Amino acid sequence: MRWNLAYRTLFHDRGKLIAGLVGVIFSVVLVNIQGGLFFGLIHKASMLVDRSNADIWVGHRGMHNVDFAHPIPERWRYVVAGIEGVNEVQPLRVEFGEISLPGGGYENVVLVGIPPATELGRPYRIVDGPGNALDLHDAIIVDRCDSTKLKSPEVGELREVNGRRVRVAGKSNGILSFLVTPYVFTNYDDAVELAGSDPSETSYLLVSVADGADREQICQQIKALLPDVEAMTAEEYASVSINFWMTRTGLGLSFGAATMLGLLVGLVMVGQTLYAMVLDRISEYATLRAIGLSERELMCILAFQSALVATIGIAIGMVITVILKTLLSTPRATIDIPFMLYVGCGVLIFAICLFASGLPYFRVRRIDPHTALQS
Amino acid sequence: MTAPNITAELDQQSQPSCAAARGASRPQPSDSELALEAKGIVKSYMIGGQSRPVLDGIDFQLKSGECVFLAGPSGSGKTTLLSILGLLLTSDSGQLYLRGRRVEGLGEVERTLIRREQIGFVFQRFQLINGLTAEDNVSIPLTMDGVPLGEARERAGELLSRIGLADHRHALPSSMSPGQCQRVALARAVIAQPELILADEPTAALDGKSGKDVMELLRQLTTEFSSSTVVVTHDPRIFEYADRICEMENGSFTS
Repeated sequence: MRWNLAYRTLFHDRGKLIAGLVGVIFSVVLVNIQGGLFFGLIHKASMLVDRSNADIWVGHRGMHNVDFAHPIPERWRYVVAGIEGVNEVQPLRVEFGEISLPGGGYENVVLVGIPPATELGRPYRIVDGPGNALDLHDAIIVDRCDSTKLKSPEVGELREVNGRRVRVAGKSNGILSFLVTPYVFTNYDDAVELAGSDPSETSYLLVSVADGADREQICQQIKALLPDVEAMTAEEYASVSINFWMTRTGLGLSFGAATMLGLLVGLVMVGQTLYAMVLDRISEYATLRAIGLSERELMCILAFQSALVATIGIAIGMVITVILKTLLSTPRATIDIPFMLYVGCGVLIFAICLFASGLPYFRVRRIDPHTALQS
Repeated sequence: MTAPNITAELDQQSQPSCAAARGASRPQPSDSELALEAKGIVKSYMIGGQSRPVLDGIDFQLKSGECVFLAGPSGSGKTTLLSILGLLLTSDSGQLYLRGRRVEGLGEVERTLIRREQIGFVFQRFQLINGLTAEDNVSIPLTMDGVPLGEARERAGELLSRIGLADHRHALPSSMSPGQCQRVALARAVIAQPELILADEPTAALDGKSGKDVMELLRQLTTEFSSSTVVVTHDPRIFEYADRICEMENGSFTS
């Protein structure tokens, strides 16, 4: 009967129920979208690593961000290649440069030199232009999403990078830097030439290991053989790159604060609504207490109502979140919601709703059954 | 302090506090056992920082099957006494016995259990649960006693049918008249067959005819279920339904 009483009375007052649901739905959508935008943004910091197809990244000692490379000797690739379990080693160049714009201006770019004839370090998929675009002489690949910054470059169009002529040979889609500077991909040798850097040096060595090989152990072996380098698994370096921006920019704090604010607003809305619902029913609760319902049973009713509001609100909020994600997520403003964020958000908001029912709990505790006779 | 005779001869031995009502021609209640007994009940409220006595040493007895009315002007302490008799309030001093068991010093949990198992309440404003149908409202006391909801609904439906509300079993309180609501409230009070029914101004929100109908029903049901009844009222139109009437004024029975 308690459950019958709880849900009947809850659904009887549709206005209050909807107000409570709006609070929960608002919290669910806000936390998920906010979190999704955060993950979408922060994953750009490791996009080159995530899509590199490499198992291990080797760079300068203390490397902390994939976009900020420091040169290491390119010949060390042969040292790494000699380690047991290593399948392939390729150099990758990451340099800063500037590209000319049609109006006579320039735009800073991150120039990424990719070794030919390998999938290592090739993060993009060409969506406009020939598949072998980088095999062409002086070819570069730009991303569609950077079209505005680069003043709408067309395939076949000539530009200059660091004062040297290049041709836009193809376009990728959705390979964006965490920085405001667009990625421009070219082949390894052209990157060395365009950047004017020392051909005996490289930014990274990308390592592919044999199936079943222990990547951690190979990293240790690389560091033992080459004390001046850092070797990390791709996942580790992705995490390091992300943490660089999280800790040095306060991004995590600001996003976290905004998300907490959303939770707080939702908590207040849900708590206030539940409290208002209880206030509206004080007379009924007093009657129930008078005719023999215990305080504990009354609290069970309240908790059940909170749990019901939370469950329905979370379910609707999740559906709305998925719809919004589908409609609004773009490569530039990616909403990347991991499954665990959905789960964590649901559990957290459910807990908050139960916590919010504590607000009316104190009012319910003070209900004097005698007041049923004083109506 | 004892109550006066209002209309009829007062039997000080068996009816120490109040008077027998006029026209009370129903079967006489049993003398063998007291359903309820209160001795020296005192209750004060703090008003404006000062203690104001509301009940001043009340003695009260209720026999099995008896129906006693507490009458008197507003503020005379009727509802407060009813609350104390119904274990909704605690007295400052005095003793209260329910079926011979001393109950005034019990904790809240035990008092709640006694209210659930032994007392049925009828309120002035019906106090039905708005979100529940008439049938579910009447089912509440049964389900609190552990009767499965389906069975409780069945018994509630039968009782509602008997009191002429068969067509309103699934009606919400908002769609029923005040008289119908009070009949539902009566059904809720008696369905678990409590030993004691306490009614606070049960006809105050009703017109004359509905009030009499409700009182007829109350007497019929309490007789059938062998419940003892205390009714607070200042409606002289229903005095005829009382076995005894206790007049109160300034926290004590008038002399």
